[in-house]
Amino acid sequence: MAVSVDNATVAYPSGTRAVEGLSLHIRRGEIYGLLGLNGAGKTSLIKAVATLLRPTAGSIRVLGLDTRERPADIKRRIGVVPQENNLDTYLDVRRNLLFHCHYAGVAKKECAPRVEKWLALLGLEQKAGERVLHLSGGTKRKVMLAKAFLTDPELLILDEPSAGLDPEIRSLLWEQVREFRSSGGTVLLSTHYLEEAERLCNRVGVLHRGRLVAEEPAGGSVEAVFRRATGEAP
Amino acid sequence: MNFLLALLRRNFAADLAAAKLTAVRMVVQPAVYLFVFGHVVGGMLPAQSGYAAVMAPGMVAIAAVTGPFVTIGGSVISGYYFRTLEAWLLAPVSLGTLMAATVLGGMVNGLAGVGIVSVLVWLILGLAPQAPAFLVLTAAAGALLFSLFTLVVLLAPETPDKGQEVFSFLMMPMTFFGCTFYSYDMLEAPFNWLALLLPTTYIAEGLRAAYTPAAPHMDPSAVLAGLTVAAAILFPLASWAFRRRLGHFTW
Repeated sequence: MAVSVDNATVAYPSGTRAVEGLSLHIRRGEIYGLLGLNGAGKTSLIKAVATLLRPTAGSIRVLGLDTRERPADIKRRIGVVPQENNLDTYLDVRRNLLFHCHYAGVAKKECAPRVEKWLALLGLEQKAGERVLHLSGGTKRKVMLAKAFLTDPELLILDEPSAGLDPEIRSLLWEQVREFRSSGGTVLLSTHYLEEAERLCNRVGVLHRGRLVAEEPAGGSVEAVFRRATGEAP
Repeated sequence: MNFLLALLRRNFAADLAAAKLTAVRMVVQPAVYLFVFGHVVGGMLPAQSGYAAVMAPGMVAIAAVTGPFVTIGGSVISGYYFRTLEAWLLAPVSLGTLMAATVLGGMVNGLAGVGIVSVLVWLILGLAPQAPAFLVLTAAAGALLFSLFTLVVLLAPETPDKGQEVFSFLMMPMTFFGCTFYSYDMLEAPFNWLALLLPTTYIAEGLRAAYTPAAPHMDPSAVLAGLTVAAAILFPLASWAFRRRLGHFTW
């Protein structure tokens, strides 16, 4: 399994339980879509899988490793696009990517070629020298995508990666995700776009009030699955 | 080790990106203070007062303690608003390594400031440390203490902007009551007792001992004891604040 969530609860210091007693298993090589209304617990679950939040009960294993015991080893093998951009506003695009490689421990001689490859793939060459503070939202998102792919992860964790992207960039993202999967990678994708889930995912899970209320192959109508599980419109 | 060096290089790149501001903070401000208070005001006082020799180590102490706040405070506050803290937390290192890298970044900036102000003291006032090794030891300890102090103040509150207010509130009395602009032997009760509670006192007095061993200053063993006690208090507090806030990252 790429991700095994067993009876996990994720709570905040205020006492709010964003995820409660949730179990979820994602096979290697799968694209798993996480759906749910705002506040359903998708981002909290994703942060817990990415080791940023500690489960207060139950366990989460990523690529066979427990998130509480081996967070650094897990982080070495995952790429994350969080819901909000976390770019270093003091640096330009190229340096953001280069430092991301350095933080991740990528061999020094490999960093620059990898960065240039992803700058080219995402059409960011013209923006490479610009400070990220001055970039548009869509361009910042592209830099975040480049960061996630840059370290050759085994598992990609994407929290609403296409939010705010124009259709052209969105299809570029889908292309990269499909290619990543065809090379053996696993993807955990949270999205509000049902079309995105239908087109990309092998399976979808619907979260509602911190619990997994449905889980089905993504072949059929994702919207119908969503309505049935939550009783609400997506 | 790679992560530590990478974060240091990132801090350097961030300082370069704000080069004008960095130059004003690290060079222009201390130069103006040294010129006005050391050269001009010092020149107005009777020669035997030796005020320039009293205030110059205090200026070096201020550089040692403000550098960590600028570097770590900048990282934590911009990390909170722009979420760069999250990016560092996603690096494949332990929380302990991330804390070590953060503290080291603060210390390096503090020591860089000390180096620059020491040169300015020599250029403007013609003073050089008589015990350079003790200067480095005291300045490094001061930068370490204020790196830890900055982590406590910014990470313990609910959000770092609240910590920033607390820091501003504490920094002023620490500077003015902490023997930076006068030496400890000039104080009378109860201010001399109050000064003993402030880590800036030990840093400034240690630097006075390094610059002019013949002039009045706190005994170096008392300086080292004060710095050690402060570190023994601040290190566990900083570790606790760091793990509590970043081990379960809810910002």
